[in-house]
Amino acid sequence: MKNLNEFKNVWVFTEIKDHVKVHDCALEILGKGRELADKLNQKLVALVLALDAEQYLPLIEEHGVDEIIYMSHLDLKHYHERIFTNLVHDLVKEYKPSIFLFPSTEVGNALAARIAYRCKTGLVSDVLNLELSDEYGDNLLLTDKPAYGGNIHVKIICPNTRPQMCTITMGTFKQKTVKRKNIQRIKKEFNCDKSPNKIKIIGTPTRKDKPTSTLSDSKFVLGGGHGLVTKDNFNKLYELARLTNGQVGGTRRPILDGWMPEHLQIGISGESIFSDLYIAFGISGAIQHVVGITDSKTIIAINKDPNAPIFRVADYCIIGDANEILEGLLDYFIVDR
Amino acid sequence: MVNIFVLIKQVPSTHNLEIDKKTGALIREGIETIINPDDLYALELGLGLKEKYGGNITAVTMGPPQAEISLRECLAMGIDDAIHVCDQIFAYSDTFQTTLVLKEVFDKIKDYDIIITGSQTSDSSTGQVPYQLSEALDIPLITDIFSIELKNGFVECQRNFGHESQNIQVELPILLRVRKHFNEPRHLSLLGIKKAFEKKIIKMDFNALNCPNFIDGCNKSPTKVVKTAKISLQRKNEVIEGTTSDKIQKILDIIQEHGIEKIWVGEK
Repeated sequence: MKNLNEFKNVWVFTEIKDHVKVHDCALEILGKGRELADKLNQKLVALVLALDAEQYLPLIEEHGVDEIIYMSHLDLKHYHERIFTNLVHDLVKEYKPSIFLFPSTEVGNALAARIAYRCKTGLVSDVLNLELSDEYGDNLLLTDKPAYGGNIHVKIICPNTRPQMCTITMGTFKQKTVKRKNIQRIKKEFNCDKSPNKIKIIGTPTRKDKPTSTLSDSKFVLGGGHGLVTKDNFNKLYELARLTNGQVGGTRRPILDGWMPEHLQIGISGESIFSDLYIAFGISGAIQHVVGITDSKTIIAINKDPNAPIFRVADYCIIGDANEILEGLLDYFIVDR
Repeated sequence: MVNIFVLIKQVPSTHNLEIDKKTGALIREGIETIINPDDLYALELGLGLKEKYGGNITAVTMGPPQAEISLRECLAMGIDDAIHVCDQIFAYSDTFQTTLVLKEVFDKIKDYDIIITGSQTSDSSTGQVPYQLSEALDIPLITDIFSIELKNGFVECQRNFGHESQNIQVELPILLRVRKHFNEPRHLSLLGIKKAFEKKIIKMDFNALNCPNFIDGCNKSPTKVVKTAKISLQRKNEVIEGTTSDKIQKILDIIQEHGIEKIWVGEK
């Protein structure tokens, strides 16, 4: 077994999104990373691999880092699994971080899993909380993650191998702007073997941005279920969303009924939401849906059936006709402006 | 002949999971099990490829003895062969240990062209194994595809990658991770169910795989679960009484408290 004391510092893979900006999720993780570094009395280190990486460093320096290790090269413009994995793995071997945190994104998840395999260490995905605990060992990272579709939380440690790694979804932690004194910038030379890539791109790729407003980053979500009864009624939900800058989502049923597209499903086989406010219109509250809404700060549920399970997870329970309420809200927003 | 493998996992159906208050462990008795929902899309892709291009398709699972039922289900869907990787020493494997075992399995199989996985399992929800197996076997992993064609010794895929849609060519063997709703998984047929029980399931245990001694799910998994808790979805549950317009007014108040403003959007 390796000497665990050789491993020091908290690293954050500070992802650059679509080669234009620092990923917000990475900035959030730096906020949490600062807390951990303070408690350990170690450094918080941001790792940046990008084209023209220098342009991103001033913003990162506002988020509590002690050190930035970076590489800047044309071949780092887009994520490339072999190049990124080789480079990051080499850096981990050189610097031996104790904790290594990644945004839970397409890139972050892929890279973290590969690095963990190469380092023969553990990786916990999509953690909800992180703390340093002496309960199971000296200042071990204790992670809390949902499992079984969110019904169950498990606490996981990685006692005997380093780094202790996890991925964190957007919205889990808050960004904090703190500027440390004497921030070190360490520029590493890009050196990566040019062995042929097994994946060949044919022709020119087309740009295909993901939709900008998605369920998972909407602050106000209006959910619809079977209780809205007709497509016309469901359409009113879209109208209310338009007037309030909200986002429509729903259960599986309205998709099957053809009222709502597939990508707006909330729950086990769809998205989870992290809104400030969620209003469930005519949703009964099957567990498949409920697990996707529990991270919403406030939940209002409207349902005719006083025994609907949705009321158990709601802050405000309104027993009544969801259509009547929806109509009333619309009247307010349309007439009185 | 193309040799296709689909990785599946048997998982508890997520309703009504309870925790034993004394031991803190999940109560597994009497819990219905299913094929991990995401794996159905992987099975469907594999079956579709076999129908179009021929070849052989095998379902592989690592799990306790009762996971055999899930393999029978795969056979009933039309999968040709099934491999059950099962040994007490594999129990409690985390993703790293699981990957090590699967590497042994595929090193033993040798002749594999396409290995297909779902996007993640509903029980542990990590999604790590496809990436780690790609590292272990040193073969490329393609995710988020929306079309695939098999050519002589390579595949052509359309995939989403970052903010791009790309046409790519990849030499076999490859790993494919299929996203949810990629296709419409098929149902079991009566004839299939009959055939499923006539087929033999290939068992692979620690000795059959000739596993190295660093494989030990229980003792050598880097991660350890130290606590399991059922989450309480405790909320205020405040019932709003009154007339419909009282209720609407209350919602409007809450909306306002949350800083949600009316926006000017013109005429209705």
